Amino acid sequence: MIKAVLIINNVGKPRLTKFYEPVVPEKQRELIRTTYSILSKRADNLCSFVEDESAFGKGTKVVYRHYATLYFVFIVDNTESELGILDLIQVFVETLDRVFQHVCELDLVHNFPRANAVLDEIVMGGQVLETNSADVVKALSDMQKLDRQPSVTTIRAPGALRS
Amino acid sequence: MATSGMRGLSTFIADIRNCQNKEAEKARVEKELANIRSKIKAAGMTGYEKKKYVWKMLYIYMLGYDVEYGQTEAIALMSAPKYAEKQVGYIVTAALLNETVQELRLVINTVRNDIISRNEIFQCLGLTFVANVGGTEFAESLAADVQQLLLSRTARPLVRKKAALCLLRLYRKNRDVINVDGWGDVLGPLLDERDIGVLTAVMSLLLALVAASPEAYLACVPKCVRLLERLTRSVDVPQEYTYYGIPSPWLQVKTMRVLQYFPALEDPGQRRGLLEVLQRVLMGTDVVKNVNKNNAAHAVLFEALALVLHMDVDRDLMTQCVALLGKFIAVREPNIRYLGLENMARLAAVADMNAAIKRHQAHIIASLKDPDISIRRRALDLLYGMCDTSNAKDIVEELLKFMASADFGLREELALKAAILAEKYAPDLGWYVDVILQLVEKAGDFVSDDIWYRVVQIVTNNDDLQAYAASKGLAYLRASAVHETMIKVGAYLLGEYGHLLARQPGSSPADIFAALHHHFHSASVPTKSLLLTAYIKLLLHAPPDPALRDQVLAVFTKYGSALDAEVQQRAVEYFALASRGPGMADIVAEMPKFPERASALEKRVVDSAGDTTEISAAARRAVDSSAVVLAPGAVPAQPGQPAPLRGPGPGAAPSAGPTAAPGRQEYVAPWAAGGAAPVANGHAPSGADLLGDLLAPDAPPAGGPPSDPLASAQGAAAAAVEPVGSVAEWFSKLCVADSGVLYEDPFLQIGVKQQYAGPQGRLLLFFGNKHTAPLTALHATISAPPGCASPPAPPPDTLPPRAQLQMAIECVCAAPFPAPASLALSYSAGVQPVAVQLHLPAVLSKFLQPVPVTADSFFAKWKQFLNPPNRIQEIVRNVKPIGLQGIAAAFIALKIGLAQGLDPNPNNLVAASSLATENNGANAVCMVRVETDPADRTQLRLTVACSNPTATQALRQIIVDAVTEPTLALPAPPPPAGNPLAGLF
Repeated sequence: MIKAVLIINNVGKPRLTKFYEPVVPEKQRELIRTTYSILSKRADNLCSFVEDESAFGKGTKVVYRHYATLYFVFIVDNTESELGILDLIQVFVETLDRVFQHVCELDLVHNFPRANAVLDEIVMGGQVLETNSADVVKALSDMQKLDRQPSVTTIRAPGALRS
Repeated sequence: MATSGMRGLSTFIADIRNCQNKEAEKARVEKELANIRSKIKAAGMTGYEKKKYVWKMLYIYMLGYDVEYGQTEAIALMSAPKYAEKQVGYIVTAALLNETVQELRLVINTVRNDIISRNEIFQCLGLTFVANVGGTEFAESLAADVQQLLLSRTARPLVRKKAALCLLRLYRKNRDVINVDGWGDVLGPLLDERDIGVLTAVMSLLLALVAASPEAYLACVPKCVRLLERLTRSVDVPQEYTYYGIPSPWLQVKTMRVLQYFPALEDPGQRRGLLEVLQRVLMGTDVVKNVNKNNAAHAVLFEALALVLHMDVDRDLMTQCVALLGKFIAVREPNIRYLGLENMARLAAVADMNAAIKRHQAHIIASLKDPDISIRRRALDLLYGMCDTSNAKDIVEELLKFMASADFGLREELALKAAILAEKYAPDLGWYVDVILQLVEKAGDFVSDDIWYRVVQIVTNNDDLQAYAASKGLAYLRASAVHETMIKVGAYLLGEYGHLLARQPGSSPADIFAALHHHFHSASVPTKSLLLTAYIKLLLHAPPDPALRDQVLAVFTKYGSALDAEVQQRAVEYFALASRGPGMADIVAEMPKFPERASALEKRVVDSAGDTTEISAAARRAVDSSAVVLAPGAVPAQPGQPAPLRGPGPGAAPSAGPTAAPGRQEYVAPWAAGGAAPVANGHAPSGADLLGDLLAPDAPPAGGPPSDPLASAQGAAAAAVEPVGSVAEWFSKLCVADSGVLYEDPFLQIGVKQQYAGPQGRLLLFFGNKHTAPLTALHATISAPPGCASPPAPPPDTLPPRAQLQMAIECVCAAPFPAPASLALSYSAGVQPVAVQLHLPAVLSKFLQPVPVTADSFFAKWKQFLNPPNRIQEIVRNVKPIGLQGIAAAFIALKIGLAQGLDPNPNNLVAASSLATENNGANAVCMVRVETDPADRTQLRLTVACSNPTATQALRQIIVDAVTEPTLALPAPPPPAGNPLAGLF
């Protein structure tokens, strides 16, 4: 199971955080801090997996990728395939790239509702939901269309209110 | 760059980003929060505005500030008809409230309405919400609807895959939402699904279900194999699901993982199919340039490796796997190297592939020096796992070398592992001592007390090692500054065995004293105490030496007024002993040998390994088998074995008498928690606390100098040994309690802890010697009435004073049994032999499980058993004055489930339970009815009806014992005429 997804930038600012297990806010902040302090010390040529029992508990691993100014971090338990999670991070990034056309940190900052929505279509309840970027993009645009409609009632039954 | 479309949000974020420092940011955030609060209170906000404010708050929350949002507003928004508002409600509720918050219950109904609505987008909002934050209450109310969506033929894949994951969440919260019976059939068709997205979600669900009860989903196995065939051959896999040329690696990985929960395939066709798939994956994967392709291909490959290990079928294939892993641990790509090491360690744990793994030893050792700590950790794990007698020396020496440069976080583990390997695989014990002392020298801070206790035990138990160990210790102590732990080991070893070195040059008692005392001032209080003990031992063991005596006495005099009570007491007592001269040498004689026991260190590693290898059933088995600490008898059932209760494997043979101890070796583990060494002559205040430390926490603390043991022993031996209470009363208490006293007399106390789950039970007997002399000729034989219990390995026949030993008994209820197993106990304290016959409290009722019954089901069963021997009815007299309520309480304690309200007469009571027997599905039904007469509380009419006559008899006896006064429980005569108790059935 994926316990949390974090995007943290090079100076430790969280850009997107999502916890799939109940974690109290103080603990969330602490986890983000420890994760950053561990990852920021790791050179880019090291492997993408980190275990730290004191920080994350037994059997929990951090799987991450570092892109330009951002760390994409998935905290997972031992039922997940490490490389599978790396693939998933790649899918996440590629999808963000499609949604924002050449995604950069600022896109996530200014559009973090959308970045959240993208993640919601890829990971749900700590499980892989969809790995097909096209499907994710489509689900997103469906939602956006609906968002612009003034009222759902009118979509479902046009005329019903008028009559 | 796209923008959010919310100008206010963008401005706010830009403001935050422009803040020069944390204070400015905080000020800006607070201003915004105040603004939001005032806006929310004002009515008439548009959906757009609400949304804007909510996102601002979430942004603030993400930055790490506390945010409170009106829960009522959020919840109200969720039921808004407009999508924009509804979405905001869902987002804010999911983000700011978590499942533990009571208020979440309020939204269950709203969520349900959305899930059963016909609007897909609403359904998705609801499903996502529940999947991310839903708690137990959601499980009960929503499972049926979610299940329906998953199975729906009309819903789109978008909705169904979400339903699958949502159901998984609900299942995690409450296992009962999915009825295991028949779900295999429901799930089967879903695996024939074409849509890869739905399949992936369903496979996640299946993985969780299978982990809990694989046998219920056996029907899914062929479908999983077929799916793997489809994927690896790229049949009918849409382009969008092909990730860097690999057909949905996620689905492949998940499917292979599911298969690891099932036993190896029976069907030869399926097996061949699966092996072909695996072979194709193993052979067809190469390390390529593209990182992403590489990752995906290897994700599948590593899972295939794990599956091959699990299937454990084909030797050639296994060897191929090792060769492949060997290749991986030498590649440049760090991720592959990491996983190569990880998987090889798994292999070392489950399969006998050490020869093949050893070929890669050089590479693995090289990985200890990898710049990446993650890889170093894996390498350490693997080295530990692959170590055996042939390579222990190399590996342990590498570990010692590595110690100096190892990360702090890794050192303790490293020290522990090195110590265990050195002991387990030492070519000779001298080398083991060398290793431990080197460990203490190089990494004293990371050498836990267990490690040095262990070396002391081993040296004490091996005479030929003692002089060597002492001289080694002395050599280390000659350095000007040494680690505190080194002083402790050195003090202990030299105190005990320093006199053996007298003939070596420079190792006279005076030299040793000087070497030790050199460190006295820098030592902590416990170490000082140890040093004082070493001095007195050294002095009295050595030939008289007035100069040394003066020196030592001076130390004792000085510390006779020490502030610390322990140090002071020792100094004073030792001073008195030393003043009396060499005649007192016997009092500080060498410590006796320690009872053989398993290493507490290894137990620690096993404990900490715990659940880290939750990969395959095979790996788990490997962990289990090395963790039999408290369950020596956990052997699988042998088909056709008649005994319902059985003991540990080797000892279970009926012929194994108390003296034949083939199980001894396996049985040493329970000793880890008890067993003190006898102290010479009862007088050895010295080192007594050290001994206490050596014991696990629940051993009785060794006190100061005991009173004259001879006097008390003789005094006690003169009288016959009687229990200090009522054996019958202890027994009946244990029939309803989990722990308590089984037997106690002036010398020996036997305590019991028991645990039962379904048809299985485990009893731990604690034999405690209360006496100041050892109890000898101790025999505890469990005699099994036809198939009730069989003896575990016999305990050793001597129990040292103030010591405790444990005996673990595993039992299984295979069929109803009439009476509990008996325990024949005999021992001797001094001259007085004692023999008692006891019963183990593993009575039939321990295996009962209350079952909820309806009137219909109860009466239907009741009518099936109207006649003896299945049904017994009798009048029980001499009932305790506890009233009907007391009887009801007794039933609950006996795990007989009360069926409230079934009997219209308020003076009566009916109850039903099922007896869990190992023979699954053939659980016996047990029903009881008690009729009381409010006018005469001393008698009642008892009816017991069970589907098994033996159970009827046994249960009757148990109930009678529980409700009557202990003195008399005679079977009652037939009921007299005019019985006021009316028959109902």
